[in-house]
Amino acid sequence: MPVGLLESLRAALPHVSGFIYPNELELQWSVLIVLYPYITGLVAGAFILASLERVFNVAAVKPTYRLSLLTALAFLLIAPLPLQAHLGHPERSYEIFMTPNPSSAMAMFGFVYLWYLMAVLLMEIWLDYRREIVEWSQTEPFWPKRLFYKLLTFGVTNLSPRSLEIDDKLGKAITVIGLPSAVLLHGYVGFIFGSVKANPWWSTPLMPVIFLFSAMASGIAGVLLIYMFLCRVRREPIDMPCLDTVAKYLLTAIIVAFSLEMLESLQTAYEAKEHFDIISLLVEGKLFISMVLVQIFLGSLVPLAILGLNQIHLFPERVRRVCYAVSAGLSLVGILAMRWNVVMGGQLFSKSLRGFTTYKLELVGREGLLAAAAIGVMPLFALGALLYLLPPWPAGGDPMRTR
Amino acid sequence: MLSRRQFLKTAAATALALAGRALAAPLAAAEKFFHDPPWKRKKPYWGYAIDTTKCIGCGRCVGACKTENDVPREPFYFRTWVERYAVRRDGETGVDSPNGGQDGYPPLRDPQEVAKSFFVPKLCNQCEHSPCVQVCPVGASYKTEDGVVMVDRKTCIGCRYCIQACPYGSRYFHPVLRVADKCTLCYHRIHKGLRPACVEVCPTGTRMFGDLSDPQSAVTRFRETERVLVLKPEMGTEPKVVYKGLDKEVR
Amino acid sequence: MRDVEHLVRVAGVFVLVISAFLIARHFLVPETFGKYGHYRAAAATEMGSLPLRYAGEPACLRCHAEQAKAKAGGGHRGVHCESCHGALEAHAQDPKAAQASKPGEAQMRAFCGSCHAKDISRPAKFPQQDLEQHNPGMPCSQCHNPHNPKP
Repeated sequence: MPVGLLESLRAALPHVSGFIYPNELELQWSVLIVLYPYITGLVAGAFILASLERVFNVAAVKPTYRLSLLTALAFLLIAPLPLQAHLGHPERSYEIFMTPNPSSAMAMFGFVYLWYLMAVLLMEIWLDYRREIVEWSQTEPFWPKRLFYKLLTFGVTNLSPRSLEIDDKLGKAITVIGLPSAVLLHGYVGFIFGSVKANPWWSTPLMPVIFLFSAMASGIAGVLLIYMFLCRVRREPIDMPCLDTVAKYLLTAIIVAFSLEMLESLQTAYEAKEHFDIISLLVEGKLFISMVLVQIFLGSLVPLAILGLNQIHLFPERVRRVCYAVSAGLSLVGILAMRWNVVMGGQLFSKSLRGFTTYKLELVGREGLLAAAAIGVMPLFALGALLYLLPPWPAGGDPMRTR
Repeated sequence: MLSRRQFLKTAAATALALAGRALAAPLAAAEKFFHDPPWKRKKPYWGYAIDTTKCIGCGRCVGACKTENDVPREPFYFRTWVERYAVRRDGETGVDSPNGGQDGYPPLRDPQEVAKSFFVPKLCNQCEHSPCVQVCPVGASYKTEDGVVMVDRKTCIGCRYCIQACPYGSRYFHPVLRVADKCTLCYHRIHKGLRPACVEVCPTGTRMFGDLSDPQSAVTRFRETERVLVLKPEMGTEPKVVYKGLDKEVR
Repeated sequence: MRDVEHLVRVAGVFVLVISAFLIARHFLVPETFGKYGHYRAAAATEMGSLPLRYAGEPACLRCHAEQAKAKAGGGHRGVHCESCHGALEAHAQDPKAAQASKPGEAQMRAFCGSCHAKDISRPAKFPQQDLEQHNPGMPCSQCHNPHNPKP
């Protein structure tokens, strides 16, 4: 018997308000399941920023192209971790590949993830870096690194103009396929929630779209901050036209995401179906701080105001940089809060619509705050490793040259 | 003398008519297949019925289920439970289910204000269109040929999606086995001709169990003579547990 | 060919990975999976083989015909044996080794009251008594035979 779990459930019992079905005391999905959509959202968002340059020829964001791809890869590599940590039997997780249930959105995860990782992201990065990889496989002094590059060449060192041209064309085609793949990678997560008819907080056709656009905002914001940080660390000047363009796309993504969320809330309030009473109590009570204050005000309205102001008036560079950094940071926090509000909010009220249970985020333990924080920062370490192995801006090279 | 066009037209019309006639029988059979409930073609097909007008809230069912099925004794894990409703004269309704109703209920705090009060036993509704089966990623949640929805303990990966998908709160996460768990209609009993434990110990005949494909079974006769409802019909889950005596306050 | 050789090699890796997956699948998908639907058919058999704890009333009638007869004629005819006597499969298998439980005189009022104590939530027609007024302190069996509890 897991004594710690039972103790915490017993402690939670007196904090139930109203009536809940007896099995609803224990929340099924913890903070780890808040993290997972956040991480895959960053993957999708970063990739879409990369595709802006490659597919839509937005030349201004070129300096962030490789960084976006590496960021997407770093977060993608860590994405399965919160899921594995949460499962009752992680050693059986391979079953998702062996006997996937065709009617289950969650069963898609294994194949969509593998497809996106192998066929899209890894291929695109490899094709874009191939010239440098071949060069480094011959010039890198540190022998483990040199071996790594040699392996990545697959034994082929041909860098003829024709082969590079083929790489470029193929890379572009992959980016084009990659766009709907990225949409699928994060859209299905939204569908996992949106298709649960049993839960009125989750059940809406808008859920995949809301998830996707807020994911784009988070990915763009993330790459923006990482780019600014890396420029500071490398003591390189920030490419302001690039940053201005990225910030403009961030503003667009926030506008769309926020509009969709507000549309959802407005319609729910207008229709005022049976579940509206309990949901109002939820938003006014347990979710007030995380939803109204953090997600809506700090995470959406403030960045909207700041970024919007920057579209109307051209502030000096220094001021713009501060505006962008603050907006990006607030968006990232706000979008994490949104994932929290969706996942936890949907479990806090009873399906009898008559009461609330309670959630206590433990500090330690497999699904505690420390574990979540550790998993949360791991992608940054993964990115560090990728930046070391595949520097987007080769020393002495032109930062604008990406291929 | 027929022209070629007239001949072709007549031939086509005749062929169509003949095909229609030939296909009529199999098409009708197919239509019947899809519209008929499964217990018209599968025997046995298990069903359940609850007459809430008889329930006295003794809680025997809750305890018997836990004993029969090794359900953890803590008050957070139930395959079946009983809810007490107290509808007050001012319109407020209070619902409670202390320890699932296993040990009875504390006295109502203001019985003089209560207009009516009753008990509603709950359990897995063994849905025909079960959302818990639909969402399981690995095929661990399934419905048998005889209509019982269960969890494969060796396959379940413990993702808990099925628990989220159940509109009735019938499922829980087994704290020791670390898999999803729920009422199995005492599958190990019904195949030996025994009743589920909850039905066995119910002293008032509130709970009924039987073979839906048998026109003489208790559940079939109940369904065909009483005005019955199911919980949350708008979900489209097609529960196989029918209720008599539900109130507008019951969810 | 020279110019696409690197792509050919990567494609080869993909083919290898997919083949490995298909081979693994052959070994890792359980045998009875898919027989009746998208589940492991043996799982239902396993659920059907779990141990019994309650014997069911017909098992009691084999030895306790006298009590069964008394019960059949009274108000408790719809109350199955194990409702009051608890799970009896062990007792039915080996009556001497596993004794049936019987509520003792000290617990009797609480035990019988768990069904028959007056409660406004219970159906009005159901036989119930206010146990604080009705012969307080007296064990119920003094006036009521549990198997045929004529008032």
